[in-house]
Amino acid sequence: MPRETPARIVNELASRGYNTDREAVTLLAEAADTEAAIERAIEAIPDDAIKLSVDDVRDALETGSGRSDRSHNSPSTSSSSPASDGDPLVSTGDEPPEPRDDADRSPVETKGVHSGESPPGTSSRTGRNPDEPSIAGDVTGRSTGTGEYEDFLAVFRDRYEKLSGQLRGRVNHRPTNAVESMPGGSEAAIVGMVADIRSTANGHWLIDLEDTTGTFPALVMKDRDMADVVEDLLFDEVIAVEGTLADDGGILFADSIHFPDVPRTFEPSTADRAVSAALISDVHVGSQEFDADAWNRFAEWLHTPEADRVEYLLLAGDMVEGVGVYPDQDEELDIVDIYDQYEAFAEHLKDVPGDMEIVMIPGNHDAVRLAEPQPAFDEELRSIMSAHDATITGNPSTVTVEGVDILMYHGVSLDEVIAELPEEHASYDHPDRAMAQLLKKRHIAPQFGGHTRIAPEERDYLVMEDVPDIFHTGHVHKLGYGSYHNVLTINSACWQEQTSFQESVNIDPDVGYAPIVHLDKLDQRDASDFLTIRSFG
Amino acid sequence: MRDADERYFARLEDELDTAMDVARSARERGGDPTTDVEIPVAKDMADRVENILGIDGVAERVRDLEGEMSREEAALALVEDFVAGTVGDYDTKAGKIEGAVRTAVALLTEGVVAAPIEGIDRVEILDNDDGTQFVNVYYAGPIRSAGGTAQALSVLVADYARTLLDIDEYHARDEEIGRYVEEIELYDEDTGLQYSPKEKETRHITDHMPIMLDGEATGGEEVSGYRDLERVDSNSARGGMCLVLAEGIALKAPKIQRYTRQLDDVEWPWLQDLIDGTIGADESEDETGGEEDEDGSADGERDTQDDDASTVDGPPRAEPSKKYLRDLIAGRPVFSHPSESGGFRLRYGRARNHGNATAGVHPATMHLVDDFLATGTQIKTERPGKAAGVVPVDTIEGPTVRLANGDVRRIDDPEEAKEVRNGVESVLDLGEYLVNYGEFIENNHPLAPASYTVEWWVQEFEAAGADVQAMTDSVEIDLDDPTPSRALQWAREYDAPLHPKYTYVYHDVSVEAIDALADAIADGEIVTGDGATAEPGDHADRAGTATGDLVLPRSEIARRTLESLLVEHTQTDASLIVPTWRPLVETLGFNDDLTRPWTLSDLSEAARTYDDGENAIEAVNEIAPFDVRERAPTRIGNRMGRPEKSEERELSPAVHTLFPIGEAGGNQRDVAKAAGHADEMGDAPGEVELEVGRRRCTDCATETYQARCPDCNGITETIYVCPDCDREVDPDESGRAECPRCETIASPTRMTTIDVGEVYQQAMDSVGEREVAFDVLKGVKGLTSKEKMPEPMEKGVLRAKHDISAFKDGTVRYDMTDLPVTSVRPAELDVTVEQFRELGYEADIQGDPLIHDDQLVELNVQDVVLSDGAAEHMLKTAAFIDDLLESYYGLDPYYELEDRDDLVGELVFGMAPHTSAATVGRVVGFTSAAVGYAHPYFHAAKRRNCDGDEDCVMLLLDGLLNFSVKYLPNQRGGRMDAPLVMSSRIDPAEIDDEAHNIDIVEQYPLELYEATREMAHPEDVDVKIAEDTLGTDEEYTGFAHTHDTSNIALGPDLSAYKTLGSMEDKMDAQLEISRKLRAVDETDVAERIIEYHFLPDLIGNLRAFSRQDVRCLGCGEKYRRMPLTGTCRECGGDVNLTVHEGSVNKYIDTATRVAEEFGAREYTKQRLEILDRAIKRVFEDDTSRQTGIGDFM
Repeated sequence: MPRETPARIVNELASRGYNTDREAVTLLAEAADTEAAIERAIEAIPDDAIKLSVDDVRDALETGSGRSDRSHNSPSTSSSSPASDGDPLVSTGDEPPEPRDDADRSPVETKGVHSGESPPGTSSRTGRNPDEPSIAGDVTGRSTGTGEYEDFLAVFRDRYEKLSGQLRGRVNHRPTNAVESMPGGSEAAIVGMVADIRSTANGHWLIDLEDTTGTFPALVMKDRDMADVVEDLLFDEVIAVEGTLADDGGILFADSIHFPDVPRTFEPSTADRAVSAALISDVHVGSQEFDADAWNRFAEWLHTPEADRVEYLLLAGDMVEGVGVYPDQDEELDIVDIYDQYEAFAEHLKDVPGDMEIVMIPGNHDAVRLAEPQPAFDEELRSIMSAHDATITGNPSTVTVEGVDILMYHGVSLDEVIAELPEEHASYDHPDRAMAQLLKKRHIAPQFGGHTRIAPEERDYLVMEDVPDIFHTGHVHKLGYGSYHNVLTINSACWQEQTSFQESVNIDPDVGYAPIVHLDKLDQRDASDFLTIRSFG
Repeated sequence: MRDADERYFARLEDELDTAMDVARSARERGGDPTTDVEIPVAKDMADRVENILGIDGVAERVRDLEGEMSREEAALALVEDFVAGTVGDYDTKAGKIEGAVRTAVALLTEGVVAAPIEGIDRVEILDNDDGTQFVNVYYAGPIRSAGGTAQALSVLVADYARTLLDIDEYHARDEEIGRYVEEIELYDEDTGLQYSPKEKETRHITDHMPIMLDGEATGGEEVSGYRDLERVDSNSARGGMCLVLAEGIALKAPKIQRYTRQLDDVEWPWLQDLIDGTIGADESEDETGGEEDEDGSADGERDTQDDDASTVDGPPRAEPSKKYLRDLIAGRPVFSHPSESGGFRLRYGRARNHGNATAGVHPATMHLVDDFLATGTQIKTERPGKAAGVVPVDTIEGPTVRLANGDVRRIDDPEEAKEVRNGVESVLDLGEYLVNYGEFIENNHPLAPASYTVEWWVQEFEAAGADVQAMTDSVEIDLDDPTPSRALQWAREYDAPLHPKYTYVYHDVSVEAIDALADAIADGEIVTGDGATAEPGDHADRAGTATGDLVLPRSEIARRTLESLLVEHTQTDASLIVPTWRPLVETLGFNDDLTRPWTLSDLSEAARTYDDGENAIEAVNEIAPFDVRERAPTRIGNRMGRPEKSEERELSPAVHTLFPIGEAGGNQRDVAKAAGHADEMGDAPGEVELEVGRRRCTDCATETYQARCPDCNGITETIYVCPDCDREVDPDESGRAECPRCETIASPTRMTTIDVGEVYQQAMDSVGEREVAFDVLKGVKGLTSKEKMPEPMEKGVLRAKHDISAFKDGTVRYDMTDLPVTSVRPAELDVTVEQFRELGYEADIQGDPLIHDDQLVELNVQDVVLSDGAAEHMLKTAAFIDDLLESYYGLDPYYELEDRDDLVGELVFGMAPHTSAATVGRVVGFTSAAVGYAHPYFHAAKRRNCDGDEDCVMLLLDGLLNFSVKYLPNQRGGRMDAPLVMSSRIDPAEIDDEAHNIDIVEQYPLELYEATREMAHPEDVDVKIAEDTLGTDEEYTGFAHTHDTSNIALGPDLSAYKTLGSMEDKMDAQLEISRKLRAVDETDVAERIIEYHFLPDLIGNLRAFSRQDVRCLGCGEKYRRMPLTGTCRECGGDVNLTVHEGSVNKYIDTATRVAEEFGAREYTKQRLEILDRAIKRVFEDDTSRQTGIGDFM
């Protein structure tokens, strides 16, 4: 057996329904016989746990048997634990491991995961009873822009107004034209949109801050701690800079930089009943790489009692592979006709239980305008996808289900954030970190003129005026989740195997994962309490 | 060298010397940057190499080595000199390698192109991960002009130097290899490569390459995978590196291997795998990929061999290749789909206006493709090369058309073509397409089966025993154009193949079609001129031809068969009338009584199933009483590339004087406006703050920006001042001025206030002109040269007066598409035989004395023919030069030309883009075609071939007087396209060697035609080419041709592409012609236009709209994003978008219409539909749309 790669180990565990953390994977990879170690570790942990921790693995490797007390304290990974004792950090694992002899009889993906999300006694529910989601921040039907200069201007002025409003209370803001006439040496603060960032000959940073009266440069010295923050800045985001004016005026020496940000004190709302939502995206029906088997397993699982409490299915764009998305795409299409693609998607959607509420936004492969905000599917496409009477809304939209606000955005801007920011702050392996950056900037796609396309509207639909409880994106085909100031960030993976393009640029997609969010537990400290990653790939 | 050649060159050089003397005395007096002429004369290639590189001693060493070895070997030998330090003055190892690499590239490009100075930025020594050192060669975009071989050898040279200097090999990191792979794919997608290496090839190369290939970022697009690598400074594609790796190493691997084998110290064993294509284990699947149909065969030189395979039971055929159809552009029509019946028929031969990358087309064809083809129009072609310039040849067969009145006839007369043009329903055949043998040599392309033509037939006829000489001498016999009965008689009597004139295109019809035609003939009758039906028996003893027409009952299959066979006939509703019918019916085995003597079952199985029954040639040969050859076995597909060009070179906006005026002149850069401009009330008008050179008079120490002291007229020199400490710094030998205290680079320029108004007045006064003498005098915004020395404005005043404008280097240029010509008639050049005799021409090509205007004369190698437009422009330039000499320099006028006849004999410079050497030429005449005709050697000396390339001419004295290196932009590529050196005489051995592949015979041998049937390699046939006379007395002469043309400017003067107005008009005309041409599939054309032109345009503009810059309408300031102030932050003016709705949706309706009309695929239609919706979704206000409420619920 060749030496195990971490990815294989993760896949192996995921296929058996377990999550794990990085250190645990490392330990397993280093084990003399990785396969046996995995078996041992899995046998050792309690039935209702779905996360394999470092301790589990260490125990398995060292003693060959599980111990009873293990703590789960990694916030960005999930596990489930019985709710009976009310302490998410401790699982009860005293029962002897159950023999896993059912693997041959049904797909391992849907078995072997001993559901920990429903407390004993609640699994006898019959049928779902979801509420109709409510929608905010949707451009559909409200697109008034006609592509004039004034429309663009309105977007950026609206952005400035809304985001500067978030910052004004925190600094003693002055308009740039007022700062210009202030005497040298004074303390000053500017709330501005980043117009330009340059490095000086000596390696310092010069940031042009712009407001409705003009621009003013702020200098960030390279040896200050906040110089690192400059690397996280994107053009056209709104920040506040406090500092001291140079002796001859003309430039602001920055002492601190503030982002609109999510307050640290933010507390997410929760559902007041035991209910969960599946957050997926990037189905890509019509592509030769669409993984129908994974999708079918997912749909089948939704019919099992285990999935009873999953009452909502949120789809963050790219229902189909589309046509003409890239040159010579027809050669890689399984279904060449765009309407047939949506028909096929609709058929796959029918496999999902009829009593679930479904919410869909479009993505960049869908047959709507690419410029953001994207309006929802038009009447013709809706009539094709009418099966579930799904809620069809624009990209982005804030969807409120059971009192929980979920900001759904397809995620095109993630490409740009990942390209622009340092790798440790945003990468394809950690799309959740890029999402955290967007939350910090309180804007879905700050940078204009680059990768992201903007359609001018009367206001900036891409500003996050209110903090969502959950931020859900897709697009990059990588699974990622985390928590930023208590906002759950989830980039759902995809249902499309690696394409030749992805292969050429070295992207290995995560296929067939369905993150399940337990809406009633969002206030729990440990992400494992409110998030379960299901693998069907 | 013959005496005549010696005299010719002496004449040119005398003239050049005279002009040089004038220019020198002028420059001593004037305010030019230097007091001497700045274009040194290079005697030979070694001189050019040294001059371009500026490394002393190279020329001498090159001359030493040249006698002993090839140029490539000399380049390698020079490496040793550089390493030893005997050539060049370099202290560091990196410097030595750099010198050797530059010299190698210069040598291999004959010291003409700019690649050695602009294409190699530097060589560095860097560290491997194991602590050893390696060599990094840093390429830039202009390395492109060196060509693949020189690019590849530059790497080899670097490696050789590396081993001699004992530096370690480069060990690529894994991520660097991945980066190379991704980057090359990105570059190929973005810019396109001649050869796209497969991923494993790139991996293989980079894994083994002992030198690191690096370079400057050229593209805007960035790699997405392997970013921010430590040893690669950019995330963009490095164009120069990609070229060297793909088109150099990967494509030219066999050539490099030849040299690595000669070097003991250099071993590149990995090249073998590259050549054999045996990289990795999965050899079997890589060759049979699905790319074949689009890529065809012409994918670089490496895979041209796959043309020759053909099946046993079919005819020999070159493999069709679709590659030329790629990136079809709206408005540029397809003339024939690949190898399609009805397309151009390949005929071998070289017309006198034929050479490298040219295609002879009948002028009648040019008119019948609605004038889209003109002399010099570029076509993208299926074979043998990729592209060719069209030349008119009227000694080949013209097109065959079907007219609205039912006539099917061949049109061999351009006038007739114009008359019938409006009545043409269908172009059944485009006529012949003349390609010379040398073209196949040059492209290393296997010979494609030849059309059966008179040149071939006559040799077979002679071989069959006919006394061809006697027949040629006979007045009664026309071997080219015999009567039907004579042709039939020859075929029988000598047992020779039937004359091509009466050989129809039997291989383009099926056996079934021939059977049907035979039935029709059997049902037909002979009708005499008066309408009476002749008794079949009457014809038995007929000798003449005009006894009656064959009238066949009309049927669809008979009609189509006659059309495909290219039998001239007339169609009526009920019948098909064939006037010249006897060769056809006899070929099909009939006697005159029209009784069908055979049935299909009489034919052999082999003949019936030959080429699956689609090709009737074998069947016909079984039926016919004589041999019938394949009339047109090779059809060549092509489409229009670029239109021909003949226009003055203008900067944008046009510039009269290289004098800076900042923003004061407005967008027009109007000097007069700047002279009266004041920024604010109270400012002195005309005073402008400008960055110009800092200079000081060597006599009186006055500071100025001019080349001459305004006080004492002494010579001034540049002063370098440190920007940090303000002290003066003397530049070192290499011209670098670094402040010894601050270590910053001292600047030769400064900001100062110049009274433009005063300069303007003084300039006009000095040359005695007033403002009324010209419309407008345009300057430049700022200077981009290193020292920022302005040109004397007097020159601009006079240029404006003569309505000519200056290029960035101070010269006046005129661009023309290059075409070759080896023999000319004085009459067609609009000159007299007397003028020709004055030029030194004494005899015609037969050696007879030159007496008449229409005698054919062999052109001297440096003689050029100007287009009418160029002649007019040169006249204006000459008047400008005379004015300049008189009123500015105070000398006598030089040219004093009255009209364009006086231009004959004057010298010009020929100069191609991407090169840095000018070639001296002499004007001998004029042509109405919009091209520059010259000897192929002249073009090759500039390193041009003629596939639609264009370059410029400059008047000799203009270059000598007005060119200065000091005006050239101080940026990458700034020294390209500038005459840094000139060649006064062409040495055939030192020009681009593709010109040596031109064949120079009067007739091709029979074995050539026979070899084409074998699809043999062209080298296997012996035809004399120019290479064979190199180094002999005959090297400048004896360029014989196989085909004449009555004039080198036949057909339309300009392509319809240039005369039609809007893009939509052009495209409609393109689609119209695609419907008319039998060889074109109009649906495919429409699809391709949409796919390659409209969709990218729509998608691109829609994308551009949503991420656009904006611009101030007042001051032109650009903003990356709409300023929050709403108005311009600089001037308060209104800001507006740069991409509007109009530019986004301009093609959507047209594209949708075309998709509907021409039946595009559903996929294509849907893409348009989705785009249309996307565009509307961006530009329409939902709330004002009339929509149902359902849309929002």
